[in-house]
Amino acid sequence: MIDPLAAAMKAAASGLQAQSMRLRIVSENIANAESTGATPGADPYARRTLAFHSALDRAAGVSLVKAGEAREDDAPFRLDRDPGNPAADANGMVKRPNVDVLIEMADMREANRGYQANLQVIRQSREMAAATIDLLRSGA
Amino acid sequence: MTDLALFDLAARNARWLGARQAVVASNIANAHTPGYKASDLQPFEETLARTRLTPTATSPAHMGAGEAAIVRAGARETEGWETVYSGNNVTLEQQLLKAGEVSRGHALNVGLTKAFHRMFLASVKG
Repeated sequence: MIDPLAAAMKAAASGLQAQSMRLRIVSENIANAESTGATPGADPYARRTLAFHSALDRAAGVSLVKAGEAREDDAPFRLDRDPGNPAADANGMVKRPNVDVLIEMADMREANRGYQANLQVIRQSREMAAATIDLLRSGA
Repeated sequence: MTDLALFDLAARNARWLGARQAVVASNIANAHTPGYKASDLQPFEETLARTRLTPTATSPAHMGAGEAAIVRAGARETEGWETVYSGNNVTLEQQLLKAGEVSRGHALNVGLTKAFHRMFLASVKG
């Protein structure tokens, strides 16, 4: 059994890690929002998503959060007519990524909010630990 | 030490607050985990009533022994303010409010302990 305040910080740290992983995937999606294939008719970049799952840490007695493997979104690609594009097929259609930048932005804000909440927990746990330690100092 | 019941009570309260902080931290970490249900500890009064007698862990292999384990076993799933489509019922605002309660409770606890200690020293020094 570890100190519950340390356990709280461990849980918050796992949250920070998971949310930052999510931010990374979101930024990959936004960066590749217009990445088409290189050869005629080739598939473009497929949007990737991350699923979280909780994992009980028995020693600490808290539920940590783990980011799973990033998986591709199987939503259909957008089709644009652009015969001059190297990725255009015989009919002049180009497959564009299934990334909706608006959704990615919303996801980014949510990840950001989660990150801040975890950060707040760490800050507060640290203050609580500091206040407890301070009992020693002022006791004389 | 029955003579120092105030210190004992303060220590129990501090342990409960620490455990609650850990529970709130778990909830916040899992704020976006599909299917996760927020949990919370039972109020301190109830925990206090249940931990009058506690089994002691005499080996590291013992599970569920000690006061901390009993405090933790008091964690129950709670109703959140809202449940989203993924089945998750953690609301960050609600959890941060709880974290605020813990923080305030801890500040009070530490303040009282300091005051007890001052009184104790004053009586010892005469």
